[in-house]
Amino acid sequence: MVNLCSLTAEQIVKGIINGDFSAEEYISQILERIEKIDDKINAFIIVDSSGALEKARIIDKKVRNGEDEKDIGALAGVAVGIKDNICTRGLRTTCASKMLQDYVPPYDATVVKKLKDNGAIIVGKLNLDEFAMGSTTEFSMYGSTHNPWNIGYVPGGSSGGSAASVAASECALSLGSDTGGSVRCPASFCSIVGLKPTYGRVSRFGLISYANSLEQVGPMGKTVSDIVMVMNSISGMDNNDQTTLDSETPRYALRPKGNIRVGLLKELVEGAEPEISKCIYSAMDLFSKLDCKCQETSMKSIEYALASYYTIAMAESSSNLARYDNIRYGFDLSPDSYEWNAYFAKVRSNFGEEVKRRIIAGSYVLSSGYYGKYYLKAQKVRAMLKQEISLLLKTFDVLIGPTMPVLPFKVSEKIDDPLKMYMIDIDTVIANLTGIPAISVPAGFGKNLPIGLQIMAGEFQEQILFDAASLFESAANVHRSPEL
Amino acid sequence: MISKDEIKHLGWLSRLELTEEEISKYAFQIKEIVGYLDKLDSISLTEIEPVRSKKKISELRKDHVKPFTGDALEGSKNRKDGFIKGPRLI
Repeated sequence: MVNLCSLTAEQIVKGIINGDFSAEEYISQILERIEKIDDKINAFIIVDSSGALEKARIIDKKVRNGEDEKDIGALAGVAVGIKDNICTRGLRTTCASKMLQDYVPPYDATVVKKLKDNGAIIVGKLNLDEFAMGSTTEFSMYGSTHNPWNIGYVPGGSSGGSAASVAASECALSLGSDTGGSVRCPASFCSIVGLKPTYGRVSRFGLISYANSLEQVGPMGKTVSDIVMVMNSISGMDNNDQTTLDSETPRYALRPKGNIRVGLLKELVEGAEPEISKCIYSAMDLFSKLDCKCQETSMKSIEYALASYYTIAMAESSSNLARYDNIRYGFDLSPDSYEWNAYFAKVRSNFGEEVKRRIIAGSYVLSSGYYGKYYLKAQKVRAMLKQEISLLLKTFDVLIGPTMPVLPFKVSEKIDDPLKMYMIDIDTVIANLTGIPAISVPAGFGKNLPIGLQIMAGEFQEQILFDAASLFESAANVHRSPEL
Repeated sequence: MISKDEIKHLGWLSRLELTEEEISKYAFQIKEIVGYLDKLDSISLTEIEPVRSKKKISELRKDHVKPFTGDALEGSKNRKDGFIKGPRLI
């Protein structure tokens, strides 16, 4: 039997529909692979073996009965992993936190429902930094996820499990969430493709909130083509998320083509480690060779982006996480004999270190007298960034730069210095603050560790992003599958 | 400057019971973080309007009640006779 785990989503759907292999054969191989290698990677929090096999048999039955391809689904039989801050009906959703360790959602997030409706098979829930707060997947009550390219290194975060599982061929696709780079950072560190869609393109209903005004659910996969397939399934207006755009979603296509106006953001390249800058300059040369018009450009307000981002993210998180009172969902601690406030303070001390840090810092910037000094200014910087980026996007179709300013680093290396850790988000937060879409595509390696190219486009211009990303991807041909 | 007393107070506002060790650590780290956020003071923003939500309240969908199948409070551990038990108020 050939190894089916390393196939792309596109190849799997074709194989199952054509009868080259069954969904059950494929899913069985995926489950065996998880069983065999996940001890090393620690990407999964929960594996739903029986549920996945049952769904695979249903797909196979539909194929045998000769049902129409459309009814079987555009993602028929494809193994998908879901970041564990996205609700899955009947399947535990923990946010890698003690505060939600036993939470079983009574409903599916809209994105999960849409994937299921398209025939995708949910194989399990993936590790993350607690409540998606972090850039390395080290802040999880289930322990760190490891980078499949070198297991002594971090996979990036906060969607580290989502990236590592795809890179390690434990699933073909995954969903992550991206508040300040949480899809793109691990995609870059694990040499896969990850997209943060435009704010409002994909429903956030069922995504457990961290910083609502910044975050989007985003797909992760081995190729741009797979990302296009997922976006065609999950995009669109949702009445349960009033921030989704109320207009018809275009059908995205894979059409790698030249003649794109590419702007290289100077500040991002200058701030990166030398191996990374070199790789990004080569990427620009490659675009030029592919008949694109490339030019270096500058974005001055980038200097203030990170301060604006962390002010907003921490403020929104302190407000969002106020809901965890351990009464409606939580772990087992009887409220008997506790006074109201004492009980809440007691149970909430079970949040992890990073979450507590952000709640306290968020309460600080929102405390009386400080609103004008921090939050309001941060929202003004955000407006300034938006103005500057929309001007740039009149001259350029896409803006490029590194996804991350640093190469993947060793597990535990930066965990004791929160500010230093926050600094590595500098290249990714721009897209969240301004709402624009951004994708990370594998660009090469430095010191044998993956480097990602980030491409950004205007609001709701995902198609041009896919055009540029697939053009680059097919010409650069960067290695995707690590030996494990 | 953020003192230990301020961290203790913020902990109380956020309903987080903190150990002495945590208070010392967070006092140091949050001072550093907030010091970085003070970068926002170094730029003139008087002319700029802050980002606001794109939709007006009148554009939001009506808040209709719809039936929900399933037990929304299945996760609560302390249920009794159709009620949920919480800590005492006084």
